[in-house]
Amino acid sequence: MSSEANEKLILALPKGRILKEAAPVFARAGIEPEAAFADPDARQLRFTTNHPDLDIIRVRSFDVATFVAFGAAHLGIAGADVLMEFDYPEIYAPIDLGIGKCRLAVAEPVEMAGSDDPRRWSHVRIATKYPEVTRKHFAARGVQAECVKLSGAMELAPSLGLSHRIVDLVDSGRTLKDNGLVEIEHIADITSRFIVNRAALKTRPERVGHWIDRFREVAQGAARAA
Amino acid sequence: MSSNDNDHRGLLPAGLADLLPPDAAREARAIDLAIERFAAFGYERVKPPLVEFEESLLGGPGAALSQQTFRLMDPVSQRMMGVRPDMTVQVARIAVTRLKHEPRPLRLSYGGNVIRVRGSALKPERQFAQVGTELIGVDSAEADAEAVLLAVDTLRAIGVSDLSVDLNLPTLVAAVAGGVNQPEEAMSRLRRALDRKDEGGIAKAGADRKAADLFAGLLRAAGPADKGLAQLAKLELPEAAAAEAARLAEVVKLVAAAEEGLPLTIDPVEYRGLEYQTGVSFSVFALKGREELARGGRYSAGYPEDGVSESATGFTVYMDAVLAASAAPPERPRLYVGLGTPWADCAPWQSKGYAVVRAVVAAPDPRAEAKRLRCSHALIDGDAVPL
Repeated sequence: MSSEANEKLILALPKGRILKEAAPVFARAGIEPEAAFADPDARQLRFTTNHPDLDIIRVRSFDVATFVAFGAAHLGIAGADVLMEFDYPEIYAPIDLGIGKCRLAVAEPVEMAGSDDPRRWSHVRIATKYPEVTRKHFAARGVQAECVKLSGAMELAPSLGLSHRIVDLVDSGRTLKDNGLVEIEHIADITSRFIVNRAALKTRPERVGHWIDRFREVAQGAARAA
Repeated sequence: MSSNDNDHRGLLPAGLADLLPPDAAREARAIDLAIERFAAFGYERVKPPLVEFEESLLGGPGAALSQQTFRLMDPVSQRMMGVRPDMTVQVARIAVTRLKHEPRPLRLSYGGNVIRVRGSALKPERQFAQVGTELIGVDSAEADAEAVLLAVDTLRAIGVSDLSVDLNLPTLVAAVAGGVNQPEEAMSRLRRALDRKDEGGIAKAGADRKAADLFAGLLRAAGPADKGLAQLAKLELPEAAAAEAARLAEVVKLVAAAEEGLPLTIDPVEYRGLEYQTGVSFSVFALKGREELARGGRYSAGYPEDGVSESATGFTVYMDAVLAASAAPPERPRLYVGLGTPWADCAPWQSKGYAVVRAVVAAPDPRAEAKRLRCSHALIDGDAVPL
């Protein structure tokens, strides 16, 4: 009666940092991707799993949100940083997986931090991958942020005069330190979320709901263990 | 093909597009099919103007779309006018003014284009066609169910398959919040978390434990209607919220009884896009589509701020989404007829379903000419010869 039975669900995963931490989550959720998935040199972009009705795609972390928002992927794992930046209403973020922990912060050169008084700012120039989050964060405290959008290597911006300050993800703080920067303001704590497309959840409540339940169990199990 | 110096004139403002053959005809046909289904259930068509005074367009339920409305000044009356961003408000205005003496419930239908200031990332269109109905002047579960059933019936008539309906209670969260008395800041964080189905966000919103559990319970009730209603029944809802939940259950029962096998889900915390709704609301999805094809629900028709309003329900079908989710009907065969074919000879072919393309200049080779004009057939020696 329905064409739903033979249709595959697509799960979008980010390349890089989160991918490694996601592997044990997948194992506990009972998802085994095909062998090529573990090979970082593989050119393949789409992978089958032990579930005939579930495929995985591997895309850039910012693109996970876009694929899921537009319904090109039904499920995904994305950092809260990416979800905050895009704020797509079509994405439901039902589960905090507790992996990929880090924070989004404002940083500036060490030598500036001593004399800088953030209370006096009216306008700041910021190099960042997150112009939306940055603008909103500063607007909320009455500061206009002029954002220079970069795709990586933000830490270079202050030393080369592109901008004095940056907004970026901070994990150990090591990269900041190596580049003579210091964290001066905390914006948000970040973890990775299991996300689903809104229309996919409405039209396939059982199948999508099944995966939400599985990932919820895994997340709760991990939280108890920790 | 060389590029013409005039090509740049084809550029349209963002979110606006030309509909070309065969899409323009497809849309018009789908609108006709919809209006016909509405008429078959006694809904009579009205046609409000494209532009009207701001205070009538943006009063009552129209206030929710104020930010999305193009405005212009009427040089004649020197008053501000708005270009309609939605037609429901206009139909409601007609119902409470010019048709206020008509018996209730009043059944009206409409079809036309609306225009909005901004599209969204997912739906960049700023102009799109809406067709829909309004059932004005009664507040009953039967009326709520009629809107859902008619929307489903209409979408099927247009040729969309694998439909499912999501039923919502956009005022439930406010009703629950009214009963649990939480600080405003915690409520706005809760609202945001509920919009994103973010259970972690509910826990972190800063509401007390009991309220947070209640909202998490509402969130978990989203899903297949039977399971969701059972979950909803287990929650200890404040009185006003419990009454709304009971109404939702009644509507689900009526729709399920009329449409066996239609997948029904409920989502008691859905709110976005339902800003002016005051009761049971719904969205219709198709498995193939990535957005809702129709939305509707209960609202206050008229101008509550002036003390003139009636309970109403209705729905709007979004034609762009519908056309993306439905299969294109087969195109009409096109028959080329040579120069000098009498006008009267066209009719018999037309009644057989052909579009008759008459030669208006002489062509030495009718087959070649027919092909050049994208015809599927040519009239040769009195026969429609397929090419």
